[in-house]
This record gives sequence, C-alpha cells and structure tokens, in this order.
Amino acid sequence: MGTLIRFVVFFAIAMIVIVLAIILGDYGAWYFAWVLGTVMIVLVSAAGGALLDTQESEKTEEDGAR
Amino acid sequence: MIDPLVVELSRWQFAATALFHFLFVPLTLGLTFIVAAMETVYVTTGRTIYREMAQFWGKLLLINFALGVATGLTMEFQFGTNWSFYSSFVGDIFGAPLAVEGLMAFFMESTFIGLMVFGWERLSKIQHLIVTYLVALGSNLSALWILVANGFMQAPEGAVFNPLTMRMELASFAELIFGHDAQSKFVHTSIAGYVTAAIFVCGVSAFYMLRKQHMELARRSFRMAALFGVLSAVGVITLGDALGFVGGHAQPTKLAAMEALWRTEKPPVGFNVIAIPDQQKMENAYELQIPYLLTPLVTRSLDHVIPGADTLVAQAKQRIVSGIEAVGALRALQDNPEDEAALSRFLAHEDDLGYGFLVGAYAPDQDPTVADDAAIERAARDAIPSVATIFWSFRVMVACGLLMLMFFILAVIYTLRNTVERQRWFLGASVLMLPVPWIACEAGWLVAEIGRQPWTVYEVLPTWMSVSTHSAGYMLFSLAGFLLLYSIFIVIEMFLMLRAIRQGPSSHRPTGSAGAAGETALAAPVRSAEV
Repeated sequence: MGTLIRFVVFFAIAMIVIVLAIILGDYGAWYFAWVLGTVMIVLVSAAGGALLDTQESEKTEEDGAR
Repeated sequence: MIDPLVVELSRWQFAATALFHFLFVPLTLGLTFIVAAMETVYVTTGRTIYREMAQFWGKLLLINFALGVATGLTMEFQFGTNWSFYSSFVGDIFGAPLAVEGLMAFFMESTFIGLMVFGWERLSKIQHLIVTYLVALGSNLSALWILVANGFMQAPEGAVFNPLTMRMELASFAELIFGHDAQSKFVHTSIAGYVTAAIFVCGVSAFYMLRKQHMELARRSFRMAALFGVLSAVGVITLGDALGFVGGHAQPTKLAAMEALWRTEKPPVGFNVIAIPDQQKMENAYELQIPYLLTPLVTRSLDHVIPGADTLVAQAKQRIVSGIEAVGALRALQDNPEDEAALSRFLAHEDDLGYGFLVGAYAPDQDPTVADDAAIERAARDAIPSVATIFWSFRVMVACGLLMLMFFILAVIYTLRNTVERQRWFLGASVLMLPVPWIACEAGWLVAEIGRQPWTVYEVLPTWMSVSTHSAGYMLFSLAGFLLLYSIFIVIEMFLMLRAIRQGPSSHRPTGSAGAAGETALAAPVRSAEV
C-alpha cells in the first residue's frame, strides 16, 4: 500500500512538472535547457550511486553495532 | 520521366536503413552519459566498483557504437545515390550540417571513444573522465547536426530559392541551427536516447539481480539508471509536447494526421484517443474522444482553430493553382533570365512553387503546367499523409513514453528503499521493458518522416521529384542487399551484446587493476593517489 501511495504521489509530481514545463515551454530555448538538464540528470544519477554507498555503510555500521 | 515505383523503392530503402540505424543510435546517445556519471562517482569517491561499472557498460557502448557508425555511413551516401535531385536542390543547406555531423561522429567521437576504451591505464583519472565526457558530448553533438538537417526538411528556415540556379541557397546559418523544429527535435531525440540507455541498464542489471550475479555492480547500476531514467522520461515527454506544438504550427497536415482530424471544427476540439481513420472517405470509421482536450493541448488556447484535413486540402488546391503559375514563370526565366515579367510573376507565386512541383506527379508527362482539375484534386488530397499510420505510430510512442515513466517511478521507489533485488516480479518486468524504448523511438521516427510526406522538404520539394533516375530493378536489388546486410548487423550486435552480458563485468577487468579480488573489495575506496 505504501508503495502504491508513493507511486501515485510521484506520478502526480511528474505530471505537474510536465504540465508546468509545457505551459512555460512553447518555443523554448531548448538547447540551453538540454545543457542544464543533462548536467542535472548526470549529477542526480551520480548522487544516487553515492547515496547507495552511504546507505550500505550505515547499514554495515548498524549491523556491526548489534 | 520519374518512375513512381522507383520513388516508392527509394523511400522504402531510406526508411529501412534509417530505422535499422536508429536501433543503435539512441543507446549510444544515452549510455555515454550514464557511463560518464558512473565514472564521475569513481573519480569523486575513489570506489573502484564505479570504475568496473564504467568499463563494463563502456564495453557494451563500444559494440553498439561500432555498429551505429557502420549503419550510419551508408545513409550519408544514400543522399547522393538515391536522392540526387534532392541533394542538388538543397545541398547548399543540407550539406553543411551533414559534413559537420560526419566530422563530429568520425573524428571527435571516434577518437575519444578509442581513448576512453584503451586509456584506462594510460590516462590519469581526471584525464580519462574528461575523455568520457567528450565522447558523450561528441555523440550527442553529431546527433545535433543531423537533426538540424532534418529540422530544415521539416520546417525549412534560413534558406532562399534561387530561380536561376534552381537550387536553395543558405541565407542564415543561425536560423538553420536555431530553428524551432531543430531545437525541440534534437533535445527530444537526445533525451529519448537517455531513456533508452536507462531502460537498457536497468534491464540488464535486473537480469543480473534475478540470477544473483554481480550484485554490487547491478544494484548500483540499477540505482543510477533509474534516477537517470526518471528525469529523462519527464524530459522526453515535455519535449515531445514541445515538438508537437512546433510541428503543429509548421506542419498542419502532420498534425491533422496525428490526431485524425478530418474536419475543421469549432474550438475547443476533442482529442481522439482511439480512431479508425478512412483516408479514402476522409473520415473516421470509429473514434473515441476526450472532449475539448486537443485545442489547449496543441495551441495553448481554447479558441484557436485547428485546421482539419478538409480545410488543408482546399488550401492545397489553391496553392497548386498558384504553384503552376510559379512553375510556368520559372521556365520562362530559365529560357531568358532577363525576362522581367516572368520574374515578377515568379515572385508573386514563389511561396507556392513546391505545390506546383507536387501536382507534376499526376500531370500528363509529369508537366505541372498542363495539369487538369483531376490532377490538382489528386495532388491536393496527396498533401495529407497516411493518417492511420501516423495516428497509430504516434499513440504507440506516447503509450511507450508513459509506460516508461511509470516504470522509472516504481524503479526509483524500490531502489531508494534498497528493496529492488527482493521485488522479483519487478526485476522480471524490467527485463521485459527492454524493447519498449526502441519501439517508441522507431514509432516516433515514423510519425516524423511519414508525417512530412508528400514532401522531402516541407512545402518546398515533393518526394516524387527528389529521387535519382535509377531503374526499379537496381533499387530492388540494393534494397534487398541493405536489408540482408543490416539484418546481419543486428544479429552480430545481439550476439556480441548477449555474450558480453553473459560474461559479465569480471572478464572486462584490466590486468592488475584494483579490486580484482572480489566485489566487496571493489566497493572500497582506492588508496592510491591516481589523480
């Protein structure tokens, strides 16, 4: 149930972002948007990997403490 | 005389080679940046698992890149061999971006991909990371130039027609590059590549997790690809709408076909979710509609009129009549370039010259100046491309896009909670998702290219005039050859990819590299100061 609620919330956020981008978009400066967007996508993806390492380190420490 | 069968075969040949080629391109566009992201984590954290990941996915990238270049090469030559009148007519404009694309792909990208693959032991970490980013940038910039060229075909900007040379001439390079269609199409296509690569990495990682192999690599790859994919999926949908908005204004016939809109109706018009279009009767045999949705979706207003096919056909008839005048004046000008009366007559009808050419396909001896009413009627109806193909290709693409967005949202939820490897149904679904982005990409290109028909350069040069004067036999032979050759390429790609995936990352580990002792060790930071 928790997963479903999260999914619905995230999907709603994605849709709101898309609608906002569509309203603001039209004849947008899309090359510029591509540069910014690509940098953001790469950094978020990299941060996700680093976060996994941190989560694992914390879990290992917790297991060790027990 | 141009044989209509040769025109059809030339179209089939280009469509086949382009669709084959685009099986390889999107993965390269996206995987380069995913590999760059992995290497970024390696350089910033020093954890060798990320180097292992970058090397493994880099190897798969290399297989795909090589076959992408091989299939792309023949397409560039095809413009000259099969579309010689087109190349002569718009070569001044089309040639420049195509040449830059060649330089980007074969010099910048190929050089740096060599450094990327063989430079792990020869370059410092920072140098290698820069090289990896240059590969990513190079592959996407080479796509930029070909899409600038395609953008010109969809919405010709930055060029003028010279009646004395019978060629289009470049008037503004900036207008060519910064055309609205080129901008939105490039970003849409590039990010579609990101989504494709993210699905690919998620699918292969899920395959490993299902088999409980290479878990360190698979979990990290899945996490990074899921985040990469969810943002890209939002971007690709947004840019898809932007491209639809731009295309809807620049190419109303494509918009009418995409939405199966046969009649001009009072706004706001409903959106056809499902329709069975009947091109002959110019109506839908069946349609399921969401009321009032289409007008705000494509015009950002509630009162803007969207022209239906009936209006567009009527407009095409008027423009054909005007275009016939332009063709007549053009001939007079070619006989006597000093003929002032012919020049002023040509300038008065210049905007409709393409429509004058269009009717030639149905006129006696392919001469537009002797076209009768029946020929004009046929040519006008021909201005509406194949509605059923475009309508359904568009919906397949959109459905795939939404499906991938939903997939990535679930993937992010599971991976951020660190439970993805326990969701075996989802891992299975991830593997099944593998073909979806390719289906979306191919469907998208069908919409773009069939939607532009009957033109190679929209409202400027009709497709029937653009071809070379080959025989039908030659075209059949070369088409069969291409299909055979490209099918072999696909088999080779699948074989090499599957073999590399089955082997997994361990076989790609360079001799003596850190972390060779095992996966746990790989997740530890590097102690040596490699930077």
